[in-house]
Amino acid sequence: MILCRQMPRLALFGLIGLWVLSCAGDAAAAPVKKTGHQQVPELNCRECHDCAQPTAANPCLNACPRLFSAQSTGAHTVAEAPEKMMLDRIADQYQGVNFDHRLHASMSEMSQGCSTCHHFCPPGQIPPCQTCHGGEANPQNLRQPSLKGAYHRQCLNCHREWSHETDCNVCHLPQAKYAKSEDKTDATDIMGQSHPSIRPPDKRVYHTPYQKGEMVTFYHQEHIDLFGLRCVDCHQKENCSYCHDVQKTPATRKSMEEVHGICSGCHESAACSKCHDRVERPAFSHASTGWSVGRFHAKLECRACHPTGKRISKVNRDCSSCHGGWNQENFRHAVTGLQLDETHAAADCADCHIERRFHEKPTCSPCHEDQRDFKKVPPGKYVRVSS
Amino acid sequence: MTLDRRGFLKLAATGTAVAAGSLAAAEAGASTGASAHDAANAFGVLVDTTLCIGCRKCEWGCNQANDLPKRERADFDDKTVLETHRRPDVTAFTVVNRVAAPPEVRQAAFAKIQCMHCVHPACASACIVGALRKQPEGPVTYDAWKCIGCRYCMVACPFQIPAYEYSRALEPRVMKCSFCFDRIVKEGRQPSCIENCPEEALTFGRRDDLRALAHAKIAANPDRYLDHIYGESEVGGTSWMYLAGVDFARADLPPLDNQAPPVLTETIQHGVFKNFVPPVALYGLLGLVMLSHRRRDGETGEEE
Ligand code: SF4
Ligand code: SF4
Repeated sequence: MILCRQMPRLALFGLIGLWVLSCAGDAAAAPVKKTGHQQVPELNCRECHDCAQPTAANPCLNACPRLFSAQSTGAHTVAEAPEKMMLDRIADQYQGVNFDHRLHASMSEMSQGCSTCHHFCPPGQIPPCQTCHGGEANPQNLRQPSLKGAYHRQCLNCHREWSHETDCNVCHLPQAKYAKSEDKTDATDIMGQSHPSIRPPDKRVYHTPYQKGEMVTFYHQEHIDLFGLRCVDCHQKENCSYCHDVQKTPATRKSMEEVHGICSGCHESAACSKCHDRVERPAFSHASTGWSVGRFHAKLECRACHPTGKRISKVNRDCSSCHGGWNQENFRHAVTGLQLDETHAAADCADCHIERRFHEKPTCSPCHEDQRDFKKVPPGKYVRVSS
Repeated sequence: MTLDRRGFLKLAATGTAVAAGSLAAAEAGASTGASAHDAANAFGVLVDTTLCIGCRKCEWGCNQANDLPKRERADFDDKTVLETHRRPDVTAFTVVNRVAAPPEVRQAAFAKIQCMHCVHPACASACIVGALRKQPEGPVTYDAWKCIGCRYCMVACPFQIPAYEYSRALEPRVMKCSFCFDRIVKEGRQPSCIENCPEEALTFGRRDDLRALAHAKIAANPDRYLDHIYGESEVGGTSWMYLAGVDFARADLPPLDNQAPPVLTETIQHGVFKNFVPPVALYGLLGLVMLSHRRRDGETGEEE
């Protein structure tokens, strides 16, 4: 009963609350224009929004903007992509096209990722073509073709570039009533065949025309492992025709700037000898710097220790020269293979590691007078360290 | 005062011009159709030659929708015809040609050609009986019933579009694209070529919207397109406009002046021929002259 009488008032409060919340949402959205979009650098608001101040209530979205940005879909993997799709909307005229979506998704990793085709990806989503492209072209937005137009433009934009072939039969065979007797799929065409998987090479040795050092040894796998680079970070706009153009002309050769631009984006050194040599160079080993990294450090990406990409000078073996901020509270001792018991966990680091010289053998003598050895009588229990 | 020969001619000329001029003004809307003001709102098409794949589906669509010798769809799958340069003729209002691209351009380009449906059509301007008319909706239409077969339109057209049924003994017609006038105006559909284009390389819409679209495309892809919309201002503007990545002349779109054919002379000429102005004006004028002479004769008689 009481609750019943309270209902109208509760509802009123609820409504007011909602209103306040929505206003707060709007107010918060207005000044911080890129909320939630920060992961997409250099994003121009007007690319997606029609008005100057989009809000949650009125996002004033453009219909399917062409927003090529590999980063916006970088979080997704090929494995998530639907495998095959049967495109058979015009089955009255043509037999369906069995489109290998995942195959194309894997090849797009060498280009602009999912956004090679999915050019409109609001944060966190990859909408399928039909979301925006319908049966008819949009008369309100002449830049928005129908699904038919969108498919053909998308497919042929690449396919005609490397095969220079625009015959309908390459993708779809006409239905019997439209077919001519000689119509058949071309067995030599790569349509419908899986691309052999592309395995990243460990290293590549380039022979260049530069006389003072014609060899450039490039450790490909190392760049992936150590720098966490993704394919698209270097392989930009590499579509099929990059490897397969059937009529390759000199125009497809890369210019001096293009070749060097791939490396100089990260390696700023202007000295040719940084990369060019007369001999094949060995892979980088941290030991050559005088510091051979051990079990834990070897697993880190370079930038974990070199965030600015610069050398670290005056490093000594004293852990605290880098890890100055560690103390008994924030250091998880178990990573060393020894999990401290309660008593020892409360002790100060320097109680066992005299003067916090962690690379030296710890001692028990400040507390224990029996000359015990920490290995035989451990101050906790030994645990397995996952490698 | 006596009217000498010179005075007569002057008067006659003014009279004719005034009469014809006023008639022409009334006719202007009808014979050359829409004014430049309407042109913005009239229908048009933007042909993006960089999207065209030369599939000839537009040719097939045109063949189906118009009074042309019917052909099988499979006939249009024959791509060998793209190897030779073709022009629209009495059997085809539109043809697609491979654009002879310079060697550094890797992607073959194609261009569909047809009547451009000029904003100020020279063909309609030259047509002395008004068989060719610019419709306010954009199309330049042809009325075979009015046509006297003089073929002035064929000479006047800057794009050499109108073709003539020389082989037809009885009632030969001038043949050219009608912009599917009935289809777009009465049925509210798009022209057949456009409905059949898989690439949607042809965009149908209001001419002003298409100009905006074309400018936006150029701005978004400056590497893909030449910074020019062919037909935006050529010959005073055309309803069909083109975007291209290679020189337009290669796509059968010659460099042309931005000047429309002289509108006033043309309207006068039409008025003159169509409404029998010369005889009416001449007799009217002669009547006036006689009247004034008679009156003057009377006056002088009294004085004498
Ligand atoms: S292109 Fe030629 S036929 Fe077509 S409207 Fe212009 S002048 Fe007339
Ligand atoms: S239908 Fe479209 S893509 Fe095909 S030839 Fe005609 S204009 Fe080009």
